[in-house]
Amino acid sequence: MADKANDPVAIWQTMIGEMEKGFNSFANQAMGSPEFSKVVNQVGGATAGAQKQLGELMEKYLVSMNLPSRVQMVGMAERLQSIEGQLNEIKAVLHQMQRASGKAAGDSSGAPRPPRTRRPPSPDGEPK
Amino acid sequence: MNAPSGLDLASIPERIQSEVQRAIQRSIKGVEYIASSGPSLGSTPKDVLHARGTMNLYHYRPIADEIYRVPILIVMATTNRGYILDMVPGQSFIEFLLKRGYDVYMLDWSAPKPEEKSLRMEDYVLGFIPDCIRRVQQDSGETDVTVIGYCFGGVLSLLYGSIFPDGPMKNLICFTTPIDFREMKLFQNFSDRRYFDVDGLVDSVGNVPPEMILSSFEMLRPASRAASQVQLWENIWNDEYVKSYRMFDRWATDTLPLAGEYFRAITKDLMWDNKLFNGTMSVGGRPADISKIKVPILHAVAEHDHIVPYDAAKHLIMKVGSSDKEEVMLKGGHVSLVAGANAIKRLWPKLDSWLGGRSI
Repeated sequence: MADKANDPVAIWQTMIGEMEKGFNSFANQAMGSPEFSKVVNQVGGATAGAQKQLGELMEKYLVSMNLPSRVQMVGMAERLQSIEGQLNEIKAVLHQMQRASGKAAGDSSGAPRPPRTRRPPSPDGEPK
Repeated sequence: MNAPSGLDLASIPERIQSEVQRAIQRSIKGVEYIASSGPSLGSTPKDVLHARGTMNLYHYRPIADEIYRVPILIVMATTNRGYILDMVPGQSFIEFLLKRGYDVYMLDWSAPKPEEKSLRMEDYVLGFIPDCIRRVQQDSGETDVTVIGYCFGGVLSLLYGSIFPDGPMKNLICFTTPIDFREMKLFQNFSDRRYFDVDGLVDSVGNVPPEMILSSFEMLRPASRAASQVQLWENIWNDEYVKSYRMFDRWATDTLPLAGEYFRAITKDLMWDNKLFNGTMSVGGRPADISKIKVPILHAVAEHDHIVPYDAAKHLIMKVGSSDKEEVMLKGGHVSLVAGANAIKRLWPKLDSWLGGRSI
């Protein structure tokens, strides 16, 4: 088998790795400059504002097309989340009632929980 | 004609045959890759103990016949999903803990809704975490709780621990947790107070969009995404490689938005004023000085962490007030420290050996 120095696949992989490192290092140096921060933040600020305006425009467009808007979908998701939350609360209450009735502690699937008596293994690997 | 030294001419036909087979496999698997969905992640059985807005508290169902007395609450970073710690069976930190006999809870985050833009640092540190601790105590029947914080989850855990030094936190484990934000050089430059108008941003967009968070992470290593795609194509014949790539890629791009006011506080208090490092941090008017933390603490850092460089994390152990404290530096990066083959070999066994004796 050819060694790594002569293996074209290994050479290719090494080259990709080195290019990645080199480019990352170069880019990190460039991004460390105050000029970079200034430009990025100017562009980023403008983009964020434009995105917000576009979002509002889309919202109006969807309403005019009689399609559910993002706000409405989020509202529906919230209602579902609220129902899920209430189910979880009911489960928690049932769990507490089960405990209060003196039955063995278990998780919300109803399975009993193991005892909290575990000790770390001794250095030879056996439980203490 | 002589062969170049080290080149075995007899092996060339065999090598060509192997490369041709791989090329065929790449074509077949490439189509499969596009047509199929990725592996199912975060599938360790769990129950939702409580959910409130962006906060979700899970309890993982115990596997061992006997468990340690002290339960664990994992506090996930607010920028990412908790399933990085529960990838697939055999590569799940959660599953590892359950098999080793720990009782595991996780505080995981979902995307804050537009009306949650007003969530502040105090909602996280004085609201969500104490609420989860209380529920863990109630559910487990134990007073003591071990807290594990990953990345910014570690920062939140430190803030919580410094405000409530008398308990109920019994042990604290931080993974790659920054405290000296001056040393996060590129993030510092991205958020340079001379040019970065955090008030303008938060006031205009509300919650900081996940695309912006993801771009800022990706900008730390701008060539790595393209290089990883080249590597994927080379290895697409290898099912294990592809499975691993899909898991990590899905998680890395599944970034969460950040609540606006919370982001404003992170930028001003931590990035600009470095208050956690300087000992001047306060949350909701309550001083949060990490020298007040006295519980046993383990801090795991990664040798090649490009998100939280060692210089940003190294002072944590020195600054906490605990007498039982340890920093462990392991090979790997910010993510491979906690998940994947590297973590299975290094971090997980280390954590188990450290925590077992402190969980009884």
